[in-house]
Amino acid sequence: MISKRFVAKRLLLLGPVLFGVATVVFGILHLSPGDPAIAIAGDRASQEFIDQVRRDLGLDDPLWQQYLRFLRDTATLEFGQSYQVRRGTDVSAILADRLPITIELAILGQIAGLLFGLPLGILSAVKKDTLTDHFSRIGALTGISIPIYWSGPLLILLFAQILGVLPTSGRIGSSHFIDSRTGFILVDTLLAGDMAAFQSAVRHLFMPVVVLGVYSMAFISRMMRSSMLEVVRQDYMRTARAKGQGAKTTIMKHGLRNAFIPVITIIGIQFGSMLGGTVLTETVFEINGIGTLLVSAINQSDYPVVQATVLVFAFMYTLVNLFVDITYSILDPRIEQ
Amino acid sequence: MNDNDSTVSRRSFLKSAGSATVVATAAGSVSGCLGGGGGGGSTLRYGRSSHSDTLDPQNTTSGEVAKVTNQIYDGLIDFQPGEATITESLATDWSMDGEEVTLQLREDAQFDDGTDFTADDFVATYRRFVDDEYEYHFEEASAYGPFTLGNWIDSVSADGDYTLNVTLTQPYAPFLRNLAMFAAVVLPQDGIEGDLDFNSDANGTGPFQLEELDDSNGRILLTPNDNYWGDGPNVDELLFIERGQNSTRTQALVEGELEIIDNLAPTNIESVEEEDGVAIESGQGINIGYMSFNMSRVEAFRDARVRQAISHAIDTESIVNEVYSGIAEQADQPCPPALFGHNDDLSPYAYDPEEAQSLLDETEYSDGFSFELTTFQNARGYNPAPLPTAETIRTNLEEIGIEVTIDERQFSDYLTYTSEGRHDASLAGWYTDNADPDNFYYVLLHPQVDSPDGQDWVDWGTEGFNTSNRSAWANQEYMDLVEEAQRTADEDERASIYAEAAQIAHDEAPWVYIDYADEIRGVRNNVSNYTVSAIGGPHLHLVDVE
Repeated sequence: MISKRFVAKRLLLLGPVLFGVATVVFGILHLSPGDPAIAIAGDRASQEFIDQVRRDLGLDDPLWQQYLRFLRDTATLEFGQSYQVRRGTDVSAILADRLPITIELAILGQIAGLLFGLPLGILSAVKKDTLTDHFSRIGALTGISIPIYWSGPLLILLFAQILGVLPTSGRIGSSHFIDSRTGFILVDTLLAGDMAAFQSAVRHLFMPVVVLGVYSMAFISRMMRSSMLEVVRQDYMRTARAKGQGAKTTIMKHGLRNAFIPVITIIGIQFGSMLGGTVLTETVFEINGIGTLLVSAINQSDYPVVQATVLVFAFMYTLVNLFVDITYSILDPRIEQ
Repeated sequence: MNDNDSTVSRRSFLKSAGSATVVATAAGSVSGCLGGGGGGGSTLRYGRSSHSDTLDPQNTTSGEVAKVTNQIYDGLIDFQPGEATITESLATDWSMDGEEVTLQLREDAQFDDGTDFTADDFVATYRRFVDDEYEYHFEEASAYGPFTLGNWIDSVSADGDYTLNVTLTQPYAPFLRNLAMFAAVVLPQDGIEGDLDFNSDANGTGPFQLEELDDSNGRILLTPNDNYWGDGPNVDELLFIERGQNSTRTQALVEGELEIIDNLAPTNIESVEEEDGVAIESGQGINIGYMSFNMSRVEAFRDARVRQAISHAIDTESIVNEVYSGIAEQADQPCPPALFGHNDDLSPYAYDPEEAQSLLDETEYSDGFSFELTTFQNARGYNPAPLPTAETIRTNLEEIGIEVTIDERQFSDYLTYTSEGRHDASLAGWYTDNADPDNFYYVLLHPQVDSPDGQDWVDWGTEGFNTSNRSAWANQEYMDLVEEAQRTADEDERASIYAEAAQIAHDEAPWVYIDYADEIRGVRNNVSNYTVSAIGGPHLHLVDVE
């Protein structure tokens, strides 16, 4: 069993990590060129107007004062209001709107990666040095090597423009308006009982999920293969076989659990990378998750949105890693020590 | 299209917020259909490059927001579809006598919640925008507050329900056109003084009403306003959809997912032209793309002969025809030809490196000099290819011994850098706000401070200096003419004053005049009665979709 102390210790570590991220993002934003007051006021504004905007936003205060204010607000989860991306709207409301979109995409991508990556890795290990293994390894290498900003447009070209069977962008067809209950479009369309909308969402999400899934699948299958190869050589596997257990049962019962430990790490790290990957995927497929939100906010010097979005990314990444550690210690209780 | 709970509750809220009169009117509208119509199940889908960052016309200077809010709200005055001339809207008649402006208002206009439009609505709108003593003043009001109304209005008062008296701070001829700008549309007094969140909700007198704002998917759905006083709308639904990439937007048009798209790059225009069922529609733009010389910073630019030499050395014809694929025309003066302030007798500086060299030889810069050319990265309507433009300029100027370093910046950084006067020269451009020549002559080339004796430029740090004048040019004769035109009500008289100002601006060359870009749209063939407008609109309530 996992101890509460272990979880509490890891949760406490979240604080310094987020503090570090907050400080770095604040520093980068304030040291990079571009004045939000000018971006907000636009090119029609007089200098007097721009100065007023700067005063209203507290951007004319000394940097250390702005930093302390930012830390205080962050600590109380007061991210302020968006300067530009969604003017005058609370950043937390914007994030609440956009976050499920990214999470849904990342989860679907991860599921796709696991569904194909795990069997492929096991098969590759079991059939080591056969044609199946070679194909699987080439496939994995290709998956890792193709960047999303290339595979995305390639799929669009093939499925949307040449074959014309899938839509190029967005999450749902223009004629479908669905109440946002969970923010997950597949769930919401099902809750609404609108199968046409659900099918539309599936068609829209197919390519983004494939792009994310292929990338993840490649990593998972490679790690699963090498981990499995390592495990099948272990004494306990030989003992199990010697006691008359079938090959399939030995692998499923004894091999998989032990081979899974390093794979779990990869899945965790992959999920983190996938959150980063959604920035590219969302941009390519024009999906309004927090990836595209971050890009727009950076382009428009929308400090509150950039700061909050990066913190959310960091928080999720850290949280996923915590879950990985917890799962780890469940699979192998010695790790907690 | 599916109805949904949030839609129903929003509509219910607005309807229930009205008075008994509202109920009666709403009932009337159901049986009698006061103007608002719909076209038998048709939907008009308009694809654009970005989603609205607000629905509040007083909280933005963005044209993307205006495309939507112009469907929901009316101004007192409007622009004719496809024209640069003004026409009646909520005001049916007006007069301007020096500083006094009187407007007669329409008596049959109602907001979409059924309340009557009156002069008090405009007074509240004005006060929300610029009057910081008003209890409901909007603190986050955009720069258009002072730019459009605040700088020019001394007082506004309602004389009964349907007459407005406005006193200006000075005789100011462009004022009526300012009233036609999207930022000056009329908001409901009830909403301003009540709890209507203009950022995400709306209640206007325009042809459409807000049905659904879907930020998650970059969509805004509008339906006909049954209380609309004018013609149309001719469709049952108007859907604005964000398709950020030019290629996907074009693809969506070609495949019939959209009826109209804007912001097309030259390559997309070619793909639309090659397809059946879609066509390119264009109109004369009201904009200019140019290169500014920062005279406050670079000494060489203070000599008019150097500026003229550079104007002759840059092949703007080739930029327009080759780099911009011919979707623009060569510029020769600050004011584009669509406006009455354009001087038809002028012509672009001819590309003539020899003439350029001989002009340069007359100055102390005959051996050349160097400067940095600041440009933005992404295409804008008046400059569809900023970097290739800058590279052409660099190559051209090499021929006369001038060395150019290109400084490419992301747009908000570019704005900061150039508005602080840190550029030597910059690629720049302007879309009209109000289709008045003053919006080019005064806003972009008048320093709005006195010109120092004996020099035709001002120091960037001068208090009150108009930083939109990216050249820091301050030609006294030009300034006097532009100020005189501001005070002159008669349009013909203004035109002749501007013709003189244009001649000076052409000869003195404070800018390299590059182009006036066309307005280009991709339109499906099942769309009719759509007019490409460079100002105002788009007038989508007049559009039919088969």
